[in-house]
Amino acid sequence: MAVSQALVVRKRLVEVDEPWKLDIYENTGGYAAAREVVTTSSPEDTLEEVKASGLRGRGGAGFPTGMKWSFVPKDIFPKYLVINHDEGEPGTFKDREMFELDPHQLLEGMIIAAFAVGASKAFIYCRGEFALGSRRMDQAIRSAYEKGYLGSGIFGSSFDFDVVLHRGAGAYICGEESALLDSLEGHRGQPRLKPPFPAVKGLYGQPTVVNNTETLSTLPHIFNHGIDWFRKWGSEKSPGVKVFSVSGHVNNPGNYEVPLGTKLSDVLELAGGMLDGNAPKAVIPGGISAPLLTITDIAMDFETLQAAGTMLGSGGIVFMDHTTCMVRNALIAAEFYEHESCGKCTPCREGTWWQVKVLERIEHGEGRQEDLDLLLDMCERMDGRCFCPLGDTAAWAVRSNLQLFREDFQAHIDEGRCTYETDHRTLVGARAIGPGDAGVTPQPSEGIGSDSEASS
Amino acid sequence: MSDNDSVTLTINGREVAAEPGRLLIDVAEELGVFVPRFCYHPGMKPVAVCRMCLVQIEGQRKLQPACSTPVADGMVVNTQEAGAVDAQEGMLEFLLINHPLDCPICDRGGECPLQDQTYKHGPGSSRYVEPKRTYEKALEISDLVVLDRERCVLCWRCVRFSDEIAGDAFIQLVDRGPGTQILTFNDEPFDSYFSGNTIQICPVGALTSKPYRFVARPWDLKSAPSVCSYCSVGCPITNESRDEKLVRCQALPNENVNDFWICDKGRFGYHYVDSDERLTAPLERGANDEFQDVSWDHALERVAAKLRDGARVGVIAGGHLTTEDAWAIGKLAKNVIGTRDVDSRVADAGAPYADVMISGLSPAAGSSATINDLATARTIVWMGPDPKEALPVLYLKLRGAVLDHNAKLIVVSPRRLSLDGFATHVVRSEAGGEARAVDELMSSPAADDIGDPMVICWGPSSPGRDDAGVVAALGRLGAARDAKVLMCPPHSGSQGLLDMGVHPSLDAGHETAAEPGRDTRAILQAAADGRLDVLLLFGADVIADFPDADLAGRALGGGAHVVTVELFPTETATRSDVLLPSAAFAEREGTFTNLERRIQKLEPLLEAPGVAREPWRICVALARLLGDDWGWHSFVDVWNDIRSNVRTHTEVDIDALSARGPTPAPQYESGYEKDPSHSGGVVAGPGGQYPKGYRSGTPFQTGQNWPLSWELRGFEARQRPGIVAGTPNGARPSPSGSTTSTGSAAPDGESADGFVLYAGRMIYDEGTMISKSTALRHIARRPFVELNEEDAKELELSEGDEAVVRANGTEARLEVRLADIARGAVFIPYDQKGFRANTLTSAPRVTLARDL
Repeated sequence: MAVSQALVVRKRLVEVDEPWKLDIYENTGGYAAAREVVTTSSPEDTLEEVKASGLRGRGGAGFPTGMKWSFVPKDIFPKYLVINHDEGEPGTFKDREMFELDPHQLLEGMIIAAFAVGASKAFIYCRGEFALGSRRMDQAIRSAYEKGYLGSGIFGSSFDFDVVLHRGAGAYICGEESALLDSLEGHRGQPRLKPPFPAVKGLYGQPTVVNNTETLSTLPHIFNHGIDWFRKWGSEKSPGVKVFSVSGHVNNPGNYEVPLGTKLSDVLELAGGMLDGNAPKAVIPGGISAPLLTITDIAMDFETLQAAGTMLGSGGIVFMDHTTCMVRNALIAAEFYEHESCGKCTPCREGTWWQVKVLERIEHGEGRQEDLDLLLDMCERMDGRCFCPLGDTAAWAVRSNLQLFREDFQAHIDEGRCTYETDHRTLVGARAIGPGDAGVTPQPSEGIGSDSEASS
Repeated sequence: MSDNDSVTLTINGREVAAEPGRLLIDVAEELGVFVPRFCYHPGMKPVAVCRMCLVQIEGQRKLQPACSTPVADGMVVNTQEAGAVDAQEGMLEFLLINHPLDCPICDRGGECPLQDQTYKHGPGSSRYVEPKRTYEKALEISDLVVLDRERCVLCWRCVRFSDEIAGDAFIQLVDRGPGTQILTFNDEPFDSYFSGNTIQICPVGALTSKPYRFVARPWDLKSAPSVCSYCSVGCPITNESRDEKLVRCQALPNENVNDFWICDKGRFGYHYVDSDERLTAPLERGANDEFQDVSWDHALERVAAKLRDGARVGVIAGGHLTTEDAWAIGKLAKNVIGTRDVDSRVADAGAPYADVMISGLSPAAGSSATINDLATARTIVWMGPDPKEALPVLYLKLRGAVLDHNAKLIVVSPRRLSLDGFATHVVRSEAGGEARAVDELMSSPAADDIGDPMVICWGPSSPGRDDAGVVAALGRLGAARDAKVLMCPPHSGSQGLLDMGVHPSLDAGHETAAEPGRDTRAILQAAADGRLDVLLLFGADVIADFPDADLAGRALGGGAHVVTVELFPTETATRSDVLLPSAAFAEREGTFTNLERRIQKLEPLLEAPGVAREPWRICVALARLLGDDWGWHSFVDVWNDIRSNVRTHTEVDIDALSARGPTPAPQYESGYEKDPSHSGGVVAGPGGQYPKGYRSGTPFQTGQNWPLSWELRGFEARQRPGIVAGTPNGARPSPSGSTTSTGSAAPDGESADGFVLYAGRMIYDEGTMISKSTALRHIARRPFVELNEEDAKELELSEGDEAVVRANGTEARLEVRLADIARGAVFIPYDQKGFRANTLTSAPRVTLARDL
């Protein structure tokens, strides 16, 4: 059984050379949907179409996009559209790829979204580390302005639309939409108290829609091909296709676009199977925030994974084989959350600090029997009590490692050492050896041009 | 069950009605259900970061923070559900893993919300075995505030106070995650006039007071409610003493006056009370011109003898006297001695307070508006001194009115004021042209924002300026609509002195005197000319404060017998013939009347040094010697007399001034049942059994640690609101009744030579009380002169140069500061280091030249 991708968002960047160039984008059908929507449709109809498509946010929470837009009050201006391109979830590199290779696809989706919600200004919040992508997008925005696809009266209509590209400064928390807005406004990036939600009071206190890169990159295709076409994939509640970033102990790590509901085992097959033909020991199904799976016979859609106690999240899948020390895996996750906690609320700030301390001891052979229950207790006391989901997911990550692989932890305590080879292969990032060593960086798929190309 | 004005909810099984939109944490507390908290403070917006106040609400998947959840109809809340209790315990465990348990040497120990709430809600021991986070301890982030980041629980209270309330975000969060710290930027000092509030609201010992560091443990303190003795805002405070020494002043909340805040001058300027330089016994100038200690009987008899002999007596009272002193001084002067030459305006000599009544702005020579009216005003006009320097907490109120309540603020001033940063309109009046600028307001761009309700704020801004013209213009502005006035005299006692008739043309109760007497300037002039037999000075340091130091000096040397009632041997006092020692504010039972005419009570905490007495008792004794026995022995006696003689004060109920709050809720439900020692009806925290004077039994009076630290008890402490004095009904004197001297100036024409001089107070100066306060006396700046850049260019002066400023034959060398000030005007602060501005302010104009 040969599994194949369903290429929609990634189609152009797989099949076309230099897809980031405007003429190439247009020659392959680009900007047709946005032109059609802006010149012939109404904001109401556009919104209805997106609602009917059942499109759900691709950033992690899976909130229905049309519903999010409908929360925006009609009579308050200005409204803003903000693109969350702060892709920082470990194991996830899908937005980065489509942003670098196909920036116009995102711009086109943004035009449709802005038209639907009545925003005449958009901000792209680009993760600070994405140098190439931001240069490509900068170039794309400029060429779109030159063509009159951005600016005043786009496509000859009366709709004005401006886009500002902003690079973040290196904080995972700024992927949380309200922290992103604070950071965009020039403040310390920390989540805001909700309500009010951004749809009502967002950027600069105005109604704001915050959408993920992949979500809006999907929009032109929905409008080009229709709802029925989009809904032929996936389920009633999770329609369409989804890009998964696959990494870990697989033969061909990379991004794969498949219909929602595709079996995890099929995704693994797409990625060339496990290294050395090993069996997967544990799978992170949606970025390290998502609790682990130990099976691969499961449909990858929002509701199935939720029912299994985990989540689709950002679509970052990490496969781990039997060489993986789950204590170390938990420690790596905990260190990430400790480093990225914004420090605003007590349970996240102190809980992540404490988790790391205890896990470090266990990994280094100084664990005590009572540490296991202590860790679980700590996770209970963080989960659901933090200011924003960062702290909650920090608890989930550690808890799921400990609950599913308690024997690994027990062995560390019993033997007073790490029971795995010291030079074992590592996953989402080896433990840093020294300052600035971020470990193994997942390899993006082929086709990314060099920086010098981007500026040409 | 509920209508639009009220929702009904259930908290721990009890139904309660509440106003919609109120926060669950407050509603629960009023019901007697105390939800533990660190970040929440009733004076600031909720941030929900400490997660300590999580409660269970039926129908909600997660626990919700009570501090940021508004009450809703039908809400069912349980603060003692197992998950909520676990959350409270868990949060304390998290907070404590990195908190050093140095309580035995921490200033906050014994009155610490973290300590108290750990007792009530926390785990008995810690499961944390690793090393704690460490930082450099005891960083001095200013001359007044010390920061210990290890103790910090990152509740953001100080950061939010600085940003939201004070508007000077000197203190901030830096770094992130577990490394998040509170710090000032780039080692710059925490240079705020309000920094001490962050110490008081800090729920741990992270921010501590440098002057109070290691001085006392809270359970050793005796405390008493009082009122700040500096400016006329009259913030209620708590005085606290150890071993009969005043060691700390803290803000006492009053939602009508200061909310929860006081300025650093009020908080740290208390050491003068215990100064070794205080006068402790009556002194008399002896044979060889040296002072010698004498008995009260001897001193008073000598003064009485002079008063009996002398037909010509002048009485001048300073601004820091209580309402009772004021009544006694007025009565002694006008009824017993029989002189009309009485005035209480020294630094503000000539200020046309009576004109506020005459102009129709107010039925009294005082405010018709209250401070709270600022919050509901549509338009506020500010025409006075810089409030951040002179009336700091009023500045906070003005800022809040604009930023939180959308009032339109119009500032008229010849120089940049602190208000300009958030004012809606700034009218930069010409030098000496304030009255004209006020008259032109209605034809200026500001006119669009003038509407009702309107509050006109006026205070004398500088000696020698045409304040009578300003008040008349403000009267015209206010007459066109239903405007109220907030009159801002300078000192804590100023308004009480006006109310009690210590004024040449006003008698007590704002009655126009049949025959007006001399004002301060005229009294001093008479003394200087040898036309006065006795000069009585009650807390009036005329040489330091009167705007013409030269005249004041000549008055003391003019042959009159000078009697001074003072705290300190000031320059004026040492040139007197008899010095009578006065009790200071912390030693007295009395009242101050603030700028909105609110009467608030001071309770005595300390014994006065030596045989120092309250000034009103000195008046009683003198009156008796002069044949008029008033029969007053106590504070209550004075007030009985005031109530039966002063028409505006007949309704003042002095018992209500010290009224306690309502009985605290009988049972604090959250967590207290764990504590077997407090299982009875009355609940006390660990502080409940400490011996502590005023505190025991009356926590709401002091707002102190019972059962939890004071800010947690804010709603009860608010129950000492004070009383706003009445106004004379319908009695408005005719303009002819005014003999107010306006100082010197006719409107300044452009042809005159030199610069129009503005002089004003900075918050810290070398005033008598501040210069005896160890914490503040070094903060005064070097003296300077502010002038316009264009003017400076013409004089070939630049920033930092030394300029020679001359007036009336005196000169001073002052550092030049280029400022946003009208051309032709200069500004000089009072009493900065080593320089008394009143050597220059005798003239309306000064000349400037480069120092060659």
